[in-house]
Amino acid sequence: MAATSTGIFHRSYASELALRHTTAEKVRLILVALALLSVPFVVSPYWLTIANQIGIAVIGAIGLNILVGFTGQISLGQGGFLAVGAYSSAILHIRGDLPVPLSVLLATLTTAVIGAFFGIPALRLKGLYLAIATLASQEIILFVVRNWEAVTGGREAIVVPNMEYFGFAFRQDFHWYWVILPLAVLAVLAARNLFRTGLGRSFMAVRDQDIAASAMGVDVTRTKVLAFAVSSGFVGLAGALTAHYTGIVAWERFTLEESILYLAIIIVGGLGSISGTVYGAIFMITLPALITRVGQDLQGTLPGIAEKLPAVQVVVFGLVIVLFLIFEPRGLARIWQRIKDYVRFWPFRY
Amino acid sequence: MHRRTAAPLTIAGVAALTLAACGGPGAEGDDGDGPIGIGVISDLSGATADVGTPYSEGIRGYADWLNEQGGIEGRELDLNLNDYAYDVARAEQLYSQYVNEGVVAVQGWGTGDTEALRQRIAQDELPFMSASYSEELVDPDEAPYNFVVAATYSDQMRVALDWIAEDAGGDSAVAVFHHDSPFGTAPVGDGEEHIEGNDLDLDYASYAMPDGATDYVSQLNRAASAGAEYIVVQNVSSPAAMLANNIAEQGLDLTVVCLNWCADEQFIELAGDAAEGHVMVQPFAPPTEPLPGHEAPAEFLESRGDSLENKGLHYVQGWYTMHVMAEGIRHTIESGEELTGSALRDALRSMDAVDTGDVTQPISFDDESHRGMTGTGIYEVSDGEMVELARGVTP
Amino acid sequence: MSDFLQMTLFGLSNGAILALAALGFVLIYKATRVINFAQGHFLLVGAYAFYAAIVILGLHWTLAILVAIAFAAVIGLIVERFVLRPMIGEEAISVIMVTIGLSSILAGGVQVFFGTSPRETPQFLPTGALSIADATIPWSRVTAIVVAAVVLIAFSIFFTRTRHGIAMRAVADDQQAALTMGISVRKVFAMAWALAAVTAVIGGILLADLSGVSAGLAGFGLIVFPVVILGGLDSVPGTIVGGVIIGLLVQYTAGYIGGGLEQIIPFIVLILILMVRPYGLFGQTRIERV
Repeated sequence: MAATSTGIFHRSYASELALRHTTAEKVRLILVALALLSVPFVVSPYWLTIANQIGIAVIGAIGLNILVGFTGQISLGQGGFLAVGAYSSAILHIRGDLPVPLSVLLATLTTAVIGAFFGIPALRLKGLYLAIATLASQEIILFVVRNWEAVTGGREAIVVPNMEYFGFAFRQDFHWYWVILPLAVLAVLAARNLFRTGLGRSFMAVRDQDIAASAMGVDVTRTKVLAFAVSSGFVGLAGALTAHYTGIVAWERFTLEESILYLAIIIVGGLGSISGTVYGAIFMITLPALITRVGQDLQGTLPGIAEKLPAVQVVVFGLVIVLFLIFEPRGLARIWQRIKDYVRFWPFRY
Repeated sequence: MHRRTAAPLTIAGVAALTLAACGGPGAEGDDGDGPIGIGVISDLSGATADVGTPYSEGIRGYADWLNEQGGIEGRELDLNLNDYAYDVARAEQLYSQYVNEGVVAVQGWGTGDTEALRQRIAQDELPFMSASYSEELVDPDEAPYNFVVAATYSDQMRVALDWIAEDAGGDSAVAVFHHDSPFGTAPVGDGEEHIEGNDLDLDYASYAMPDGATDYVSQLNRAASAGAEYIVVQNVSSPAAMLANNIAEQGLDLTVVCLNWCADEQFIELAGDAAEGHVMVQPFAPPTEPLPGHEAPAEFLESRGDSLENKGLHYVQGWYTMHVMAEGIRHTIESGEELTGSALRDALRSMDAVDTGDVTQPISFDDESHRGMTGTGIYEVSDGEMVELARGVTP
Repeated sequence: MSDFLQMTLFGLSNGAILALAALGFVLIYKATRVINFAQGHFLLVGAYAFYAAIVILGLHWTLAILVAIAFAAVIGLIVERFVLRPMIGEEAISVIMVTIGLSSILAGGVQVFFGTSPRETPQFLPTGALSIADATIPWSRVTAIVVAAVVLIAFSIFFTRTRHGIAMRAVADDQQAALTMGISVRKVFAMAWALAAVTAVIGGILLADLSGVSAGLAGFGLIVFPVVILGGLDSVPGTIVGGVIIGLLVQYTAGYIGGGLEQIIPFIVLILILMVRPYGLFGQTRIERV
């Protein structure tokens, strides 16, 4: 927690409520903020694309972590909810002629409502059975998207025009970075604060022991449905951003693989950890790009490997997930914590 | 929200507005006499890797062959070819990487990545060719930098329907079996309009082919009881082969007409005897019918200890897609223009039709249309080979 | 009427294969409480192992089946020892994820050795078709029904009559109690994975005969979920009932309603069943206490 071993003492309620307590933490926050603000001026557009994809993944993965990591409701339906967010925002913007911010907001709310509806099975189901029920919701949502031609345009992709504000069009990654970054920061702060409220704590109570929570007066039904709604809201926002950022919405993007990628993000990052979600998103989105880079470098030195490279990449991807889970099941958040402890106690070891 | 957390947010918000207005760094230009960078987005490990691999090898093979011949005006083609595993997000990353590296054109692959990049290539002014022959991509107003090399899926469907109407010699019924995706449904609506527009005496119905099925017998029986005699398939080889097997097992009297992506050697190999007598609509001539255009890739592969028969017609398809792009580049350089994306687009539109040695119809584009050709070959499976019924058939 | 008979026969044979594919799933869940998302990829590995034995090594098909089974059992043991054993005691979601990572490794591994183009199925099952009334059903499907029935009956007997089978059930019931009775929980876990891999070989071979040997086989793992949920995650007879119900339902929907609805009908049934009977038709109901 803090960079002192004597404990932290508060002299006012305001200081106790602060998210950052010590000077070291505040300095670190400023450094991170400066780094984030300077990213687009330093890195190439290629890494900026990845940065934007990470930003959107952070928002979506926080949503998933609220449901899976904090409330204990395993969901494999992430892709479906992303699709709901993306399609509603695109349709509201194009057919409803609403301005983008409004359509994104409405899409977020729509996804929250639909998420709550698909959360109803959670009232009776737990654990693995729920996981498979959410897998079913994913398949059903995508089926509806594919076949409800009057609304979604069926299997054809929807082209979303560039958003234009302040006299110019948002089309380069550079522009989008300044849209996605604040929203991602907002999502992180909202989630951090959510778990300091009664609602957030009731989520965790349901995760830890739902029967005990109910005995303590937590309305389990209401909490579960709300958890699905809140979580899907974040996911819907991520979906809506994907729609406007990429300028195209097609159902093929929101398959089970997408759900699995998001699960991998929160597991590699750390279940029930907001900062871990951010690390996980950075790691999982960058990993394939890094593997490709390494592959390209190897191609020069070992020409024979070129043919096998794509298959090897698939193996490496799986291997990274497996090794992570075996050696650090609590994810990157825990590794980061250990590094901090090591620095804090240096030169002494535990 | 607490004041302390609100402060960084406000800063971020203000910074967002001010910085966004400054505009971002642009892509590098072409340096005049070095290698010519071309980005290739291939599927080598994803859902369509079975046909994506030979297609991608064809693109690579053509570039290697051209470089051995001395390149274009002494400049080599420098391909940056990467696998995107049929994942649209990966395609977007690769595309950004290519833009960053200053490529002049991009070779894509599937419907998903082609659609997803359509707007961005228009903004970045990078000509884009892919193996997605959707009719939507031929209109320069809609997709100004997409070039469709082959006959579109819709044109292939029209050719198939014309052939069926003639083969049936009277009224008949057609069932379209398609993959449940934008790729699969692309020609379905246009086929129906073609029948109405030309007063063909054909009944028309479409059926989705679910992924992961082990048979299509129910769908076949529905189609057969509705009177269908021909089945047009818009899907890849494996499910099409299963369909042919089901037809043979059930003893149904149905003729399969495969469009492009199941019209290949794999379909014949997988279906075996069940493939006999079925028909294929394929704009690219298979290597089993040697034509002048097959010589270069065949010789090139033999010099590498391989053979064109082994690689199959999708290799030829990749080879000539790359050929068209290279001809555009040659035309741009010869006319003394600086090699940029927009100059390449203009060259592709204004140059003479590209001759592919009879492997396809001559390929040409103009300001009005990016439809490379309308003609396609029709083949019948006989003794395990694709035997030509007609060549250069146009709708 | 002939259409109905036709659909019923195909539904039954699909159900038989589904049940066989689901069996490996249930075996693992029953003994180790792990949901194996890599089950589809075990089918894939099994089919390719058989393909390699019969085509590349050129063995007779009986020998090839034995080689493939031995190979799969070894893979199952390796997976259990090096991937799943370190995960004992971790959260359900982490265990799910590790099997997802595993599926990626298996898929990539198969591609490294066999490339991406689909392979012709080695022909060894009887060809031709059987006509019953107006319906025709290929012999390969009849074989599938018979093989599935034999394997499923064998496993039912294994669980009720044999020492190892009863030990597996004991472990599934209560690991500590099983340990005190002198059962090696480790051996039981290892056996469950080896057996699951073996059933996947049989399923994979039958499936490959119907749809060819290609990476697409792995997708079959997904369709198995509604079957196991319907039957109950820990019930062997449940897989048969679940498999047959889903198999028939898909055929009837495709035949009478169409419009692609057959793709999601299993999932709709799945949700409905779960709402009424959260532990499936034959699953063991667990009472929770704080």
